Amino acid sequence: MSEINDAIILQGISKVFPSRHGPPIVALEDINLTVKEGEFLCIVGPSGCGKSTLLRILAGLEQPTTGEAIVTIKEEGKPVNSMVFQEQSLFPWYTVRENIAYGLTMRGISPQECQRITDHYLKITGLGKFARAYPHQLSGGMKQRASVARAFANDPSILLLDEPFGSLDEQTRVLLQQELLKIWEGTQKTTMFITHSIDEALGLGDRVLVMTARPGRVKEVLDINLPRPRDLTIIRSQPSFLDLFHTIWFSLREEVLKARNEEMG
Amino acid sequence: MRTEGKIISFFSPLLLLVLWELLARVGVVDIRLFSCPSRIMKTFVPVLLSGELLYHSWVSVRRILLGFAAGAIPGMLLGLSMGLVPLVRAALEPMVAATFPIPKLAIMPLILLVFGLGESSKIFTIAIGVFYLVLINTMAGVLSIDPIYLDVAKNYGASRWNFYRTVALPGALPMIFAGFKLGMGTALLLIVAAELTAAWAGVGYWIWRAYDMFDIERMFTALVMMSVLGYLLSYLLDFIERQVIPWKTPPAQ
Repeated sequence: MSEINDAIILQGISKVFPSRHGPPIVALEDINLTVKEGEFLCIVGPSGCGKSTLLRILAGLEQPTTGEAIVTIKEEGKPVNSMVFQEQSLFPWYTVRENIAYGLTMRGISPQECQRITDHYLKITGLGKFARAYPHQLSGGMKQRASVARAFANDPSILLLDEPFGSLDEQTRVLLQQELLKIWEGTQKTTMFITHSIDEALGLGDRVLVMTARPGRVKEVLDINLPRPRDLTIIRSQPSFLDLFHTIWFSLREEVLKARNEEMG
Repeated sequence: MRTEGKIISFFSPLLLLVLWELLARVGVVDIRLFSCPSRIMKTFVPVLLSGELLYHSWVSVRRILLGFAAGAIPGMLLGLSMGLVPLVRAALEPMVAATFPIPKLAIMPLILLVFGLGESSKIFTIAIGVFYLVLINTMAGVLSIDPIYLDVAKNYGASRWNFYRTVALPGALPMIFAGFKLGMGTALLLIVAAELTAAWAGVGYWIWRAYDMFDIERMFTALVMMSVLGYLLSYLLDFIERQVIPWKTPPAQ
């Protein structure tokens, strides 16, 4: 078996936000982490633990206060990363097609190529009929499908997803998780996925990283040895899934309680 | 409810005209000052048919359109830059805040000195009025864009030019059009004042000439024309807005 390369190396990353009242807020503290090429890493943690900040640092939208985020896989002609945002982030002024093609257009891909790639992702996300619709005409699930399609169409070296399905209803979420798995299994991109749902993290990830309450640190990293390709409805009932669920649940519960105690003084 | 509303909207102005006419006939309204609809129409039809009023209207419309373009385009460009680049905003905002409140009519004499008595002084007067309204609205429009869209543009590798083209401009368009509409209203105000001095044609000139001759009906014909022009110009802007902003959610009924 050939050696699997590292894709992302995080070295001693911390992030401090100045605060107008009181002491500065330490969002992240000494994060060290390596993500392998082609790995699907899920990050769970109590709210406010800085998981989004960590992803934003990787996306180049924030600068770390100390440390370094190094993306070691850089493929010729491909963007380093593309992000799927938590909230509604499709441009309201562009049609679904134009939104999905956004990254390609920005990179100056030829219109024919752009059209071909966009058609492909419109088809596999089932948005073909809505290619010319504007975001306000779509349901929440369709909007997030289009956001995911926009990221995949851009064909980045690493894919960053920040609670992309957090605001969706349960049924839609499971459907979209399944679709994401299918697309991901076809491309095997290095992926970092933030969620607050243990269920989601276990269903999708190769490894799950549990973060501590603020300041966010790496609490533990668990390997999820569930076979791929996965069927979410089947793996949820497997004993190893339930064991892992409990392990993470108790690990996370401790942090959530800690965060709550801090909030209540 | 909606059809009722339409019927009321149609008949209420008509009723007001009838009332005006009746009150004038019984002598409650002084026709030497306020004239009455029938007398105004008697004057209006011939000046309209002779093309005299249309000629003066066209002169004014041309000044309005040129002045509007000369004010709106720089206002929009500067507003986009001020909205998008904090340094540009910091540099220009105090000047805008200090010069915006100066009544545009107060600088008319200066404009006449600088631009002379020809067309350019009238066009500039309108341009400066439109400029500020479009500038301020465009900047506010850019600043009100949800920062998430800037994050998306940055993450997906948008160049500086593409930040303007794909985020700032489309995101601010609804506010830009609000500025255009305010600007058009101001242009109609300013044109009459600008044509008060050193003008030899235009609706404003027409009104002031009629005033000099104490020809109240003639004055009113120009007012009717101004009202029609205002309606048409705002209709034109609404039409362009619908074409340019197809993603705008239709207002809830």
